[in-house]
Amino acid sequence: MVQPYGRLGMVGELFDGYEHDGFYDEAFESDGTVRAHYGALVKRLSELTPDELGTRSRLRDEAFRTAGITFTVYGESDESGVQAHGHEGEGIERTFPMDLLPRLIPADEWAHIEAGLVQRVTALNLFLDDLYVGERAAIKDGIVPKWLVASSSGFRREAFGLPVPKGARCLVAGIDLVRDAKGTYCVLEDNLRSPSGISYVLENRSSMTRVLPNAFRDHGVRGVHHYGNLLLDALRHVAPPTAGDDPTVVVLTPGVFNSAYFEHAFLARQMGVELVEGRDLIVEDHVVSMRTTHGLERVDVIYRRIDDEYLDPVVFRSDSSLGVPGLMAAARAGNVTLANAVGNGVADDKAVYAYVPELIRYYLGDDPILPNVDTYLLWDEDHRAAVLERIDELVVKPVAESGGYGMLMPGSSDEETQRMRDRIEAAPRDYIAQEVVSLSRHPTLIDDHLEGRHIDLRPFVLSGESVEVIPGGLTRVALRRGSLVVNSSQGGGSKDTWVLAPGAGVD
Amino acid sequence: MLARHAENLFWAGRYIERAEDTARILDVTYHGLLEASPTEAARAWADVLVVLRLSSDFGALSSGIDAVSVSQFLVSDRDNPGSIVSAVARCRENLRSVRELVSTELWESVNRFHLDMRARNLWADIEAEPYQLYAFVKERCQMVAGAAAETMPRDDGWRFLQIGWMLERAEMTCRLLHVRYSGEDPVGFHHWLGTLKSASASEAYRRSYRGSMDPANVLEFLLLSPQFPRSVLFCLRRAEHDLASLGRNPSAHLSRPERLLGRIRADLEYRDVTEVVADGVPVFLDELQRRVRQVAEAVALEYFRNSQELDLHALESIPAG
Repeated sequence: MVQPYGRLGMVGELFDGYEHDGFYDEAFESDGTVRAHYGALVKRLSELTPDELGTRSRLRDEAFRTAGITFTVYGESDESGVQAHGHEGEGIERTFPMDLLPRLIPADEWAHIEAGLVQRVTALNLFLDDLYVGERAAIKDGIVPKWLVASSSGFRREAFGLPVPKGARCLVAGIDLVRDAKGTYCVLEDNLRSPSGISYVLENRSSMTRVLPNAFRDHGVRGVHHYGNLLLDALRHVAPPTAGDDPTVVVLTPGVFNSAYFEHAFLARQMGVELVEGRDLIVEDHVVSMRTTHGLERVDVIYRRIDDEYLDPVVFRSDSSLGVPGLMAAARAGNVTLANAVGNGVADDKAVYAYVPELIRYYLGDDPILPNVDTYLLWDEDHRAAVLERIDELVVKPVAESGGYGMLMPGSSDEETQRMRDRIEAAPRDYIAQEVVSLSRHPTLIDDHLEGRHIDLRPFVLSGESVEVIPGGLTRVALRRGSLVVNSSQGGGSKDTWVLAPGAGVD
Repeated sequence: MLARHAENLFWAGRYIERAEDTARILDVTYHGLLEASPTEAARAWADVLVVLRLSSDFGALSSGIDAVSVSQFLVSDRDNPGSIVSAVARCRENLRSVRELVSTELWESVNRFHLDMRARNLWADIEAEPYQLYAFVKERCQMVAGAAAETMPRDDGWRFLQIGWMLERAEMTCRLLHVRYSGEDPVGFHHWLGTLKSASASEAYRRSYRGSMDPANVLEFLLLSPQFPRSVLFCLRRAEHDLASLGRNPSAHLSRPERLLGRIRADLEYRDVTEVVADGVPVFLDELQRRVRQVAEAVALEYFRNSQELDLHALESIPAG
């Protein structure tokens, strides 16, 4: 049974006044009928009153706080007064809000996404290996300009000639996808350094199975809890030959004050390996060891969640206390593998991003399955002139930032716009401009009813023995009405993401 | 295991026990002084601060010593590292640093305790219902102990947690006795019954001594009982057992902490309580505390030394990302 929202008894008050406002809505067709694969869920929801849903939502918040599933925000006063436990310089621990309505992806759509991601990450691994230990063929053949690579802030000369076993440079990649007004999945950006968010994928799933257990029944949802095993397998797979049959893997964290510390501890726990800080490790004779209660113990693979420039004070920033002196030399000697590889930032540089479709064609000989968003390169005089002409209609992003920082969105003040113009004129290489993607929207619980909110999707891709995608990923949702910015640091929330069995979800 | 993790667990154990024993000391002092004159009470509260080695920290605030000011300082003052809220917060921070090594049940019981302490109006609790407040703290600490005992594997991590826990309890039991001996002629029946109750020992004591309420017997019970889990001897034996179980090279000699601890334990085992009374109880308790602290320092040197790094890792802020 399919009925338009807003005037049906069945869906109840939850959907009262729900509008798609002309955006692509994940759950409803443009005429207001429920999309087929959302049929069962919408029916299920109609069995709940807004009150019940609100109660479940509070239960989930409480469970997250008890479990300490939080990220830390610094330099900000707390508005809620509830979730904050900050005291002076401690920073404030926030829970990452999860919306109770899951985002559903039907099996055929997922097959398309998965193929596109495997293709893209395969090409990116080849590109990075080509750059750092290969012939630089993509440069020689004119696919990517040499100056662009050399001027990328993510490019590390220190990693030149440093091999990575099996070429698995993007051991964990998080590729951000959005859907445009027609519902087409596009790649918005690549995250090839230390993408975070996978812990929320797993925790969201655990809490959804408790909060809405019945809803799972009709959907054949594909599991995500094997992530820890897959990650450990991939890490052991890239162990150096010196490691023998049973390589020792550790997770390297900047420490308990880092905003993603919860995730670091979570991953160590999921894999059953030690969570170390830089001060727990020592390099002697190019061998990395950890300090234990009974002396030193050799380490073979480091899943590091510390940025390149803090990894090794001998090679990078000498004022870093987070890293380990001699780590790069140990890697170069082939005694330890660092994952993700050093220098991956060159490939997720937002200007290099524009070349990824060509790189896919170049290395794999295939057309890209997932398109990029239209991107303008501002060092190009024609592009720049065109962009400056209509800058208030475009999104301008710094090439090396992540987390949604430093962007100019349409609707910004004249002053902000002028400042961005000045910056572009001063350093055109450091910015790109993109057409605004009117991100798809998804029904989201706001107080006691549902409203459409913009979403994206960050699937996680592992490169080990093969390139593999965890079904689903992190759906981020911009909780502020009308906002297109989904980053957790900018008021975003998340949704559990269900990849459905073929034909599932239909009422 | 990582030296730093061992150290975190050791301190997590110490802090949770400190929270519990501080509540016990406050509880017995508060209720014991309800009928005392203001001068007597002020002196007794000053003694509590001395025994807890916090009088200079409190002195800096010096708003006058009474039940409320000292209780606030020892319960809710976040700037006092010895307060209950601070101890719980530090226990939590230490466990958070080894989150991947502790069971979810243990972590959540401590985290919930921390969040609930922060959510309470502690000033109002201290004024209006201190008994309920201290009962709450004790109960939560026991939940933490239960979660640890029922869900943690008996590996080195568990042992370091226990060693910190037991050494702290041994020291705090000394302090509790010290506080109760500081008064002017503390011979009353109710005084000693209160002391036993504050260590959850009144029933066990009565079964052992058939109702006589002799200060020497109370002292003997809380110092030397081989069976009662809060007696000093009992705690030291457990700590010694866990120290000995830490995996080590079988050909090695006893470690320094083991030797120090074994000496105190043997000394207590062969000690006659009448000698203690004759020699002066406060002096004896001071010396015992000092030696227990020495063991803790030796544990740090023996096992955590590896977690200390030279200048390179000394300071520095941590960038987000």
